Amino acid sequence: MSHTLHRRGTLESLKNDYVVFAMSAKGVNEVASSAKMKRFLEIVNRFGPVNLGDMRTGNRYITTEQEIVDKTRDTSIVHGVFDNRESLIQALKALKDEDMGISVIVSGLLGDVRECCREAGLKRHTCETSLGIWGKTERLPDEDILRFTTMCGHGQVPFNLIKKMIAEVKEGRLTVREAAEEMAKPCQCGVFNPKRAEAMLEEILCLWGIRVA
Amino acid sequence: MKVDEAKCVGCGRCVSYCTMGAIGFVKDPYGRVCADVNQDECVDCGVCFRADICTGKALFEPAPVWPRSVRGTFSNPLIEHKETRVPGRGTEEMKTNDVTGRFKTGEAGMAIEMGRPGTGAFFRDIEKVAMAIASLGEIHFEPKNPITTLMVDQNSGKMNPELMNEKVLSAIIEMTVPLERVQEIIGAVKEVTREISTVCSFDLTCKVHPGDETPAFDLAGEAGVASTPNGKTNVGLGRPFFVEEATR
Repeated sequence: MSHTLHRRGTLESLKNDYVVFAMSAKGVNEVASSAKMKRFLEIVNRFGPVNLGDMRTGNRYITTEQEIVDKTRDTSIVHGVFDNRESLIQALKALKDEDMGISVIVSGLLGDVRECCREAGLKRHTCETSLGIWGKTERLPDEDILRFTTMCGHGQVPFNLIKKMIAEVKEGRLTVREAAEEMAKPCQCGVFNPKRAEAMLEEILCLWGIRVA
Repeated sequence: MKVDEAKCVGCGRCVSYCTMGAIGFVKDPYGRVCADVNQDECVDCGVCFRADICTGKALFEPAPVWPRSVRGTFSNPLIEHKETRVPGRGTEEMKTNDVTGRFKTGEAGMAIEMGRPGTGAFFRDIEKVAMAIASLGEIHFEPKNPITTLMVDQNSGKMNPELMNEKVLSAIIEMTVPLERVQEIIGAVKEVTREISTVCSFDLTCKVHPGDETPAFDLAGEAGVASTPNGKTNVGLGRPFFVEEATR
């Protein structure tokens, strides 16, 4: 379950896209970990995340932050998304100081995250990378669309929704921000970065026609 | 997912919320246009239902019956697998490695995420890839992964034959191998993915080795497969519940 791996995009668009999340190991340090998950969310929330969520409860765009915090359980996986490295570093420092003993994972550019860890006084334990997409890649939509949909690793953001949102903005029915937030809704975990989506929408709007095939 | 024709007003709002592009339109016996879900292609992810956009409240999910029930458990992240107690498709993999010590120095975690991104995979394709990898010999698929539990023979990678026509949003074939086998697995995946009807995303995990190195990534590069600049980092805040064996 690598739900924050395989985010696609140019180096520029992957900058300032950091997902930080926490979970307990089932059957190992799981018991009574929900209080730690709550604490994790409270800490992350202090540093201005652009999204927040727990897979079961949902994300900031479909429920309230309070509900996300209140409903954490020992088996929860809790997430926050930052759009700048300074917030990530500050959050990592605060999590280090809290010393809760549960696993914390950061998704982002690996070299950059290594530096952020160093600045926060942390040493990387394990890394995961993507070796790309294999097989019948001709079945995939344009890379412009994949840059949005791959922000939800559970595949809950449909290709057609992105095309629809592009059309809605171009026809003046939604603002770029509204369209980006609508895209973020189906990503139950809250790892979709709506700020990145806004920036990418602005970038590609001129390239797509109203009738998006 | 199904559509109650009596309630559907044919507005088409659900179409954009289908992860598989499986919603089209038909005419009912009275000539009214109504949404229709292609049941072979639908993976029961529940996205259209949860989006709460159906004007007539016509979308409904029938109670899951084996073998179709696997569609929802692999495609809807709100459903927890009984085997792993982790919602979604896979395991904790590297996310809790600082606590569990699952991936050790000298090892690599490798996973093939069938159907990702957004294309979905039938079990016949999942089996094809699993069997190609298993044929290399001495492959130990991750026992906690739900795909492994659906194999009738873990030595050959053969899946339960009842599942062949079932489609899921994605499913992960997952294993831990010694570093010296990384390139061999990459070669096998390269070959077999020429024969599948869908896509897959390939994951590579490596514990950070002495000197802040990730040798598995270097091995992939030497095999001609570039790893992406972005990825996941376990930042080591978990308190270990294991003692690592001597470095290999």
